[in-house]
Amino acid sequence: MAPKKSSAKTKPKPTTVRLDFAPPASKRIDPLTAFAAPKPKGKAKETEDDRLWVEIYEPTSQTELAVHPKKVEDVRRWLEEAFVGGPSGKLRKYRRILALTGLAGVGKTATIRVLAREMNCEVLEWRNAMGDNAYTGFQDDHQTLFSKFENFLERAATCNTVFAGPSSSQTKRRIVLLEDLPNLLHADTRTKFHNAFQALVASPDPNPVPVVLIVSDSGTRGEAADDRLLTGQSRERDDAMDIYTILPRDLLNGPYVTQIGFNPIAPTIMKKALQSMIHSHFSSQTSNAPSKEILDVIIETSNGDIRSAIMALQFSCIVELPSGKRKKGTKGNAKVLLEAITRREQSLVLFHLLGKVFYNKRKSFLVRVTHRTPVQRRRTFLKDKELDAALRDPPKLPHHLSAHERRTSRVNVDMLYADSPIDSSLFSLYIHQNYHQYCNEMEECEGVAEWLSWVESSGGEAWYQANPHQFHLLALGTLHSLPSPVPRRNQKCFKPQFFDYLTKEKDAWDADEDHRVGSWSRAEVVTELGGVLKARDTNPTASMRAPLSHQLFSRLDFVPGSDGSGLSQLSEAEVPGVVEGLVEDTDHVGGWETGNKNGGGWLEDDEIDEF
Amino acid sequence: MSLWVDQFRPRTLDDLHYHKNLSTRLKSLAASGDFPHMLFYGPSGAGKKTRISATLRQLFGAGAEKLKIDQRVFLTPSKRKIEVNLVTSNYHIEITPSEAGNYDRVVIQELLKEIAQTQQVDMNAKQRFKVVIINEADSLSRDAQAALRRTMEKYMSNMRVILCANSTSKLIAPIKSRCLLMRVPAPNSDEMTAVLTHVAKRAYFDLPPEAAQEIVSDSNGNMRKAILVLEALKMQSPDLSGPLSIAKPDWETYCHKIANLIVTEQTPARVMEIRTKFYELLSHCIPPTVIIKTVAEALVTQVDEPLKPEIMHWAAFYEVRMRIGSKKIYHLEAWVVKCMSLYKQSFFQFDMDDFD
Repeated sequence: MAPKKSSAKTKPKPTTVRLDFAPPASKRIDPLTAFAAPKPKGKAKETEDDRLWVEIYEPTSQTELAVHPKKVEDVRRWLEEAFVGGPSGKLRKYRRILALTGLAGVGKTATIRVLAREMNCEVLEWRNAMGDNAYTGFQDDHQTLFSKFENFLERAATCNTVFAGPSSSQTKRRIVLLEDLPNLLHADTRTKFHNAFQALVASPDPNPVPVVLIVSDSGTRGEAADDRLLTGQSRERDDAMDIYTILPRDLLNGPYVTQIGFNPIAPTIMKKALQSMIHSHFSSQTSNAPSKEILDVIIETSNGDIRSAIMALQFSCIVELPSGKRKKGTKGNAKVLLEAITRREQSLVLFHLLGKVFYNKRKSFLVRVTHRTPVQRRRTFLKDKELDAALRDPPKLPHHLSAHERRTSRVNVDMLYADSPIDSSLFSLYIHQNYHQYCNEMEECEGVAEWLSWVESSGGEAWYQANPHQFHLLALGTLHSLPSPVPRRNQKCFKPQFFDYLTKEKDAWDADEDHRVGSWSRAEVVTELGGVLKARDTNPTASMRAPLSHQLFSRLDFVPGSDGSGLSQLSEAEVPGVVEGLVEDTDHVGGWETGNKNGGGWLEDDEIDEF
Repeated sequence: MSLWVDQFRPRTLDDLHYHKNLSTRLKSLAASGDFPHMLFYGPSGAGKKTRISATLRQLFGAGAEKLKIDQRVFLTPSKRKIEVNLVTSNYHIEITPSEAGNYDRVVIQELLKEIAQTQQVDMNAKQRFKVVIINEADSLSRDAQAALRRTMEKYMSNMRVILCANSTSKLIAPIKSRCLLMRVPAPNSDEMTAVLTHVAKRAYFDLPPEAAQEIVSDSNGNMRKAILVLEALKMQSPDLSGPLSIAKPDWETYCHKIANLIVTEQTPARVMEIRTKFYELLSHCIPPTVIIKTVAEALVTQVDEPLKPEIMHWAAFYEVRMRIGSKKIYHLEAWVVKCMSLYKQSFFQFDMDDFD
């Protein structure tokens, strides 16, 4: 997202065709604007533009986008396939819905807008027009918001615009952009919404208009969801908006929907973008430009959210930050301040969260990374050293506890908890799925397994009696039990199999239900009826066959060895991660603790390549 | 489909083959007009439910055998719907509250209140009360048991509760003290042979004594299992002669193989392997308690004497945790890891001793 001030005002806005009454003010008003743009102090700037920088410096071309080029290319290819149909021309049928997912502020909307402009297509965007037509007595043609949405979707997908220029009415490409969605938390609306999409996909339109859905991820936190997750009734988290609530499951896995996940913006890319923005903003005078350190702090605290970074940047240009250029020692203050502004919860990527726990780094542990340059290795070394200096050694343990002697951990569990994108139940499942790869000895396994078991059974029967310290106990217990250093042998991180088996179990219970006779209890059917059922199956003369579904619980073939099937590896994109191959920032949490990053030290210790 | 177990189940207290004095007691209780709340307990397959239904018949006559199966939907405080199957007649109702999982309290409360507040309308009924049979009472949660305790007192005038459980150890004391405890022990092998021969006669074939012997020794006092095995064997080889091979159910062999896995190798990778096996068992609805029990029993046959009590101790230990916690796999695995590490330690110790 590089600056282009001159073009900011003249740039062609994507036309938005509204099929219902549009609210007069289509610009989104940000409450921050109220005080984010006060009168500039001292010398008045030439441009008295009170818009936010985010809007002023909206990217206009692909080169200005701060998104990883590969992602942009993915989206572009999809759009091209949607319009042309790919090399064979047959793909068009399947390019109906594109879902862009990712955390807030990673450039999803910007990418679509830029590409739409570059590919010269019209963006039809839906916006929930709440209270636009103020209630004016009885209206015969009153529509609910949702039926408006349905109409919009239907018409946008099928009708050509009447107002299009005579020349281009046929050739003009259009996409439907859905970012502001109806209230999907309402079950009825969600069903209708799903139906609308099913209908859209099912319609045999030779000239379909592709639909782009933009979904900002938000992770799940809070322990109450546990219960529901466990009972296996529904994995859909009704109160969290994610791609699974927005699109029906079968559609999402079907051929018509493509999902492209956006990762948080890498610090290097963001730095470039912000620098060029500063460069053009302060082209005339350099005195007020924020210092390099502040820029670094902003990037670091934004966690890949470029919108928040730009906001923070603008903020830092408006108020005089305590540090300035003169005193470098006060940088910590600026950091604290900026962090307070830009800090986002759930900023730690799941993948890295697990890496931190499993690799169990402790004081005076040297990372031996062979494929780094000496400079980088040295930098890592220095950073670790500084980190270690801040860690205090634990008091010596008495003799009988000497088995529990450990060096101080470099992992700050409080930080982990604050930044964790998942709740403790899911966290324990992930640990459970993967811990054995990081153990050498049975004793270490025993430690982790015991902790998992204890933590899970601590607390009472009801959710509100649950142990509130589960996350901490688990993290600390795992760290305590695992060896340090953990041997690196190309461990892979897998997703928990728990849920797959839970669904299987549910199916089996249903089958069980079919076989209940009289007053048999479920467990009796499962454990004792199997033999007879099997005998009936093998006996061709048996007059009455039981439904074959009993095999779900009666048939168990022992396969020696552990089959790797059913294991799915946790990828970084799962909960958005860092752009692969470009940057590694696993240790940024560590950076917060001590605040000793020297200019642009991003390419440091890596964890990711090890996975 | 009708199984022999159900088809040839004794209907009345007089038809029962064993525990004659229990039958006489039940008969006199039913005749006394002062029928208490009851708790039947004993190992599975001993004939608890058969005795309960025979007692019902004794109480109410043949009308208690006209059963229909309903499904009732209960609403939890958090507005979740729970479906529970009910077996009812005009005189009694039978529920398995553990089907409702954590919400068994809701089911118990709603249902009992509803039954207790309606009077028996059938003027020809022999008794003024209705009977509620609660199966698997030992898997009731604490909450549900507490709820039950209150209701049992309050509605004594027009309702009786019959609980059916494998063991009384998981029931709270107030409930035990409100019930007349009826222990139904497992039949001995002579009694079982007699029942098997009776079943064979009813099914019009002759059971060779060797086959009966075989089945009885295999089924460990579980009458239901014995009759099921008999039926399965009859289906496989109609004449029941020659050496019989009683196939164990799949899950049981599976558990035995897991025990083998534990003793053959003790590494973190093996833990992972066993975990998938456990997951497989769990996803086939095998109750985790049964899993841990079967594996432990198979395991103790393969280890040295001093380890045996340890293994059983930890199995019991983790079984309790399993009951409290909700992710059974953690506890199963923790137990396996514990066993592995114990086994390994003892192995090394043995080696060292040898060396000295």
